[in-house]
Amino acid sequence: MNTLRATSFVVPESLNASSPPEIRLGRRDYVKMMMLDRVTGNFINTRFDKLPDFLQEGDLLVLNNSRTIPAVFHVNVLRNGLVWKKNKEVRLARCIAKNVWQVLIPDLQLRKEDVLLFSEGLRARVNAVEEPFTVVEFSLCGTQLFNELYTMVEPVRYEYIHEPWELDYYQTVYATVPGSVEMPSAGRAFSWELLQTLRKRGIKTAYLQLHTGLSYLLDDRWHQHPSSNKERYEIPATTLAATKQTKENGGRVIAVGTTVVRALESVAALPDSKNHSGWTDLYINDNTALRTVDGLITGFHEPEASHLDMLSAFIDREQLITAYHQAIDSGYLWHEFGDINLIL
Amino acid sequence: MKKEQVVIITGASRGLGKALTLAFAKQGAKLAICSRGQKDLVAVRKEALKIGAADVLAVNADASNARDIDRFISLIELSFGHIDVLINNASTVGTSPIPYLLDTTEKDFQDIININTTGPFLMTKRVLPGMLQKGIGSIINVTSEAGKTGYAGWGVYGISKFALEGMTETWADEVNDTGIRINMVDPGEMDTEMHALAVPECDYELALPEEVVDVFLYLASDDSKMINGQRFEAREFTPVSASKGAIQ
Repeated sequence: MNTLRATSFVVPESLNASSPPEIRLGRRDYVKMMMLDRVTGNFINTRFDKLPDFLQEGDLLVLNNSRTIPAVFHVNVLRNGLVWKKNKEVRLARCIAKNVWQVLIPDLQLRKEDVLLFSEGLRARVNAVEEPFTVVEFSLCGTQLFNELYTMVEPVRYEYIHEPWELDYYQTVYATVPGSVEMPSAGRAFSWELLQTLRKRGIKTAYLQLHTGLSYLLDDRWHQHPSSNKERYEIPATTLAATKQTKENGGRVIAVGTTVVRALESVAALPDSKNHSGWTDLYINDNTALRTVDGLITGFHEPEASHLDMLSAFIDREQLITAYHQAIDSGYLWHEFGDINLIL
Repeated sequence: MKKEQVVIITGASRGLGKALTLAFAKQGAKLAICSRGQKDLVAVRKEALKIGAADVLAVNADASNARDIDRFISLIELSFGHIDVLINNASTVGTSPIPYLLDTTEKDFQDIININTTGPFLMTKRVLPGMLQKGIGSIINVTSEAGKTGYAGWGVYGISKFALEGMTETWADEVNDTGIRINMVDPGEMDTEMHALAVPECDYELALPEEVVDVFLYLASDDSKMINGQRFEAREFTPVSASKGAIQ
């Protein structure tokens, strides 16, 4: 089954998932799942709601409960107090401090002290231009800032999305800590019914937060290498204790999403007795020895995505690419509304 | 009640919602309140802080609108980090006086169902994930006698509360054994603006909203930890009958 093929692959346009699974299949957990064996490279084609059949009592799933926030806005730009540009698109990229954000404003040469008018009650002053991003400081902070942002609610949607799906479609069912610019999509296929089934079978769950930043910068000139893409994480002590106990008892720690791998491996060497939070620039690749995570639930990634480097820490790169060719041949769907890859 | 419990009350600017806000404020709760119309809500917030609330987040939001609900709950999650109690109180009687079903328009029917039934569905769906992750939480739906027995003259309002009662039982069964509890309270007929709309020429005695809050305090407390999927009548409730020492 696993004959070696090319070292890369091309995803046909027809395999870009453009609608949420609950719209096209009736349920979010009815997406396809490829179960890929880390050691042998063998794979099984199945459906995501069969996940409990591949896990064992005592295994632990760790999920990122960061919630997607509205991140796309249209603003007028003031220069020297006068309207300079109208209705320009702004994408939030990453929160740096309380009311200071990196934003992406395509095709606009902004200057320090320019002002972005988000609404009557909210403006942002340009503090710095650091291509490809612009650093802005909002006129509000805390709940007042988010209250304004939520009144202009639009999620980040990419070119393969043809309908303006509401922000609610860009959430996992367990998303409860607002802060991600893009949905941590690996967990999107979970339904509460499936989570309850796992619980009843003795498969545990634990949560952490890693707020995602903008992944695609709308211009192929710019690529963010993980080592320069810092992300903020918070891991409760209870989650770290659960990972430790799981491993001591012979269970497996399975990360739901590459964000969870990044967060857990960033603190793997630290004591687990307290909550951990911080920024990570950890770059996981085939040279990385994973210390905490034993398995991964993730989507299917594009050839140039650094996520593939991370997946190579779990499975031989050639076996992975072979499986990806099989996924393409079997019609697996890519991106946030797409199908799932379980690597165990 | 545990100090600084995070309690959400919808429709908090007047009537029972206001009375509940003040009752939980006296217990030192962190409150998140919403209503349509900022002015009355701000006044309730001020009063709640004055009498002991640890904090009050007051948000102008329509408790039947999915976007408003997401904004409201997200602001609470950002401010307080978690939610202990949700009281789905906001509701409407629709046109006053309430017409017969035979005289009710399709639009009025849908509007009332939207506020009284769909609203609590959306609000509960948005709040439950955080509670399920912590394995603790209490949700209380405000129902009515008209949600148990159909009466001519209570029209779509009654139907919306029948649906709410069924929904409470279904939610309760879904979350059984998770540490979450979902119950409902019939507060009885109270002297409120809403009752005046429902029964404009009322000639019988009515309770004050402040007189029916005990059962809500009980259902928010650890004393009711094992109670799930039950219907309470506020005027029949006594703290002693429910659980010794339930009410501080």
